[in-house]
Amino acid sequence: MTTALPIRLRDRALRSAWLHPFNDADAINDLLGSLNPRWSLTEVRAELVAREPQTADTVRLVLRPNRLWTGFVAGQHVTITVEIDGVRHQRVYSLSSDPADRRLLSITVKRQPQGRVSNWLHDHLHCGDVVTLSPAQGDFVLPQNHGPVLLLSAGSGITPMRALLYALRARGAGDVVLLHVCRDADDQIFASELAALASGWPGLRFVAWHTADRGRPALAELLATVPDHIERDTWLCGPAAFMADVEAHWQASGATERLRLERFGLAPTVIGSGDAAEVRCSRSERLFAAESGEALLPAAERAGLKPAYGCRIGVCRTCLCKKRSGTVQNLVTGERSSEPNEWIRLCVSSAQSEIELDL
Amino acid sequence: MSKTSSKTMTRPQLSRSDIASLQADLDAVRDEVMQSLGASDVAHIRRMIRRARGSAIAGRAMIGLGFDPLTFLVGVAALAHAKIVENMEVGHNVMHGQYDWTNDPALNSQTYEWDNVCDAGMWRHFHNYEHHTYTNILGKDRDFGYTILRMSDEQKWHPFFLFQPIWNGILAAAFQWGVGGHDIGAERLLNGQMSWKEFKQRSKPFHRKIRRQLMKDYVLFPLLTFWNAPRVLAANFLANLIRNLWSYAIIFCGHFPEGTAVFSEAETQDETRGDWYFRQICGSANIEGGRAFHILSGHLSHQIEHHLFPDMPAHRYAEIAPKVQAICAKYGIAYNTASFWRQYGTVLGKVFRHALPSRRANPALSQA
Repeated sequence: MTTALPIRLRDRALRSAWLHPFNDADAINDLLGSLNPRWSLTEVRAELVAREPQTADTVRLVLRPNRLWTGFVAGQHVTITVEIDGVRHQRVYSLSSDPADRRLLSITVKRQPQGRVSNWLHDHLHCGDVVTLSPAQGDFVLPQNHGPVLLLSAGSGITPMRALLYALRARGAGDVVLLHVCRDADDQIFASELAALASGWPGLRFVAWHTADRGRPALAELLATVPDHIERDTWLCGPAAFMADVEAHWQASGATERLRLERFGLAPTVIGSGDAAEVRCSRSERLFAAESGEALLPAAERAGLKPAYGCRIGVCRTCLCKKRSGTVQNLVTGERSSEPNEWIRLCVSSAQSEIELDL
Repeated sequence: MSKTSSKTMTRPQLSRSDIASLQADLDAVRDEVMQSLGASDVAHIRRMIRRARGSAIAGRAMIGLGFDPLTFLVGVAALAHAKIVENMEVGHNVMHGQYDWTNDPALNSQTYEWDNVCDAGMWRHFHNYEHHTYTNILGKDRDFGYTILRMSDEQKWHPFFLFQPIWNGILAAAFQWGVGGHDIGAERLLNGQMSWKEFKQRSKPFHRKIRRQLMKDYVLFPLLTFWNAPRVLAANFLANLIRNLWSYAIIFCGHFPEGTAVFSEAETQDETRGDWYFRQICGSANIEGGRAFHILSGHLSHQIEHHLFPDMPAHRYAEIAPKVQAICAKYGIAYNTASFWRQYGTVLGKVFRHALPSRRANPALSQA
């Protein structure tokens, strides 16, 4: 993929040692940001222009990004960065808007119990506020050619389906089924849009399963509403247990190549004392086990890795490493943290769950 | 006061249970602050960054565009102020990881680079690791005397130290160069423990950083206002010199004033965190002053608090200082604090006194 010339020139200028300090990106971004919070030389910053409540605990946030936003393909997600009480937090949300609209985008956020970011987005992000976005990412997208389509979702798993539906309609897809499980009609995210889409598009069939009326569906029962489901190109998004059941069914039918999945970030399962946690190293593509209560540095060294280190007592930060995901405990303070993409000291951090390190 | 009594004053004998409860008391002080970190701490450091940038822009504009002596003097002062705030309150503290908890890439200890000739990576190694881990342990903390000064009786004398008042003056004026070259460990080249090849390899980041700094202060800015080039060269040189003298003076008051203790490698083996805290207090000294002074010193005027909690945002040290002082009083540990002139006076006294050979006060502490 070739990057546009202005972007290439910008990146060269920012790297050049000769231009320092005129190419200090942080300083330039601060200056631009003080003139207009959406302006930046390097970051996609987006202003909240509308909030559309979908259900009692779900809201669609409509954002207007700056010109560094290069658009997205239906089914992709973005990482949103917000600063809450001085700390930057990152979360991944599916894009739920029409990808044909290059000017506006939207994400749809459900409140999570004790979720710091989701609740903050609900309660403290006001119209006019600005957040930072990553470029769109993900391969939960439509291929060039496909057969009949099944979009299978549960709860807030419907968020990427909305973008996929817009893209399918734009392609003139003739046989699309959206099968969605939620509590009841009030819990239906995008209820009015879906009704409007279905009424003007004969190729779309919308099947809703409301658990308040019919109970939690057995998988066979649910899939019986779309008898030819196994023949369809299928996009699946929902809670982990639901996705695991569906995936097992497709595997058993030998149709996994027609199944595409989009997984949410999961709350990591905390290991018991005396157990070992699996540590994945994304850069070296290595895997090792760390005992609970044991610092990650010696555990990594035992596995043959050679992370940088200094004092080994939590003073010097030579062993600072980015933790992509999972829960760690600080062995000095006893503090636990599950924040994705945070910096930890390997010599005084122990794994409390499966974790992923940038090592 | 005899030498022995001053030693017992700075280094009381604490029982194991005292050390354990000292650790618990200080941990509690740390936890209270670290759990309260938030938006106001980030606002402080961003305000300091803006202050340094604003001051640098104003100073460089006056230097480059002005013609009169007044804008020259004010310009030099503004640029020196910018470099001092950036080096001391922003750079030093950010590179300690005091703001890593914010997850803001602009405040990250591993990527920040500061406005002087010392490479950030080299600095983090000899400062965060060697100096803060092994504070005042002779033979391990290369910051104790910076390998060219004899600052205590326990350091072995050598005729080289006869001229140390001169070395001290040179280091003061060229402080950023001393700091910049420190991590190379040139003393090991001189005594044959390092090859010329290794020396050149270790010097590379220093050379890179020198090029970048010289380019900025002595090529780019003089060229930008070429009709004023000599004026710009002189002003930038003076601003760097002022920053050097200031940071030298503050930093020398951290561990060298009268009453700071040194330690041997043997006695610091198998230290607990309580022992480590104890050593940090005994080896450090504070300077008294107001808020503006503390900020210009990068809060190194609270050297004791900084050495206890190097990754606590430094602007919080003033608030915990009374608690730390009370804890010291509880265990009979001297809390070394005095005015700048008193602390620096005793440092200069040591520079002169230890230039001459002396009997080693504590043979157990002496270096081989």
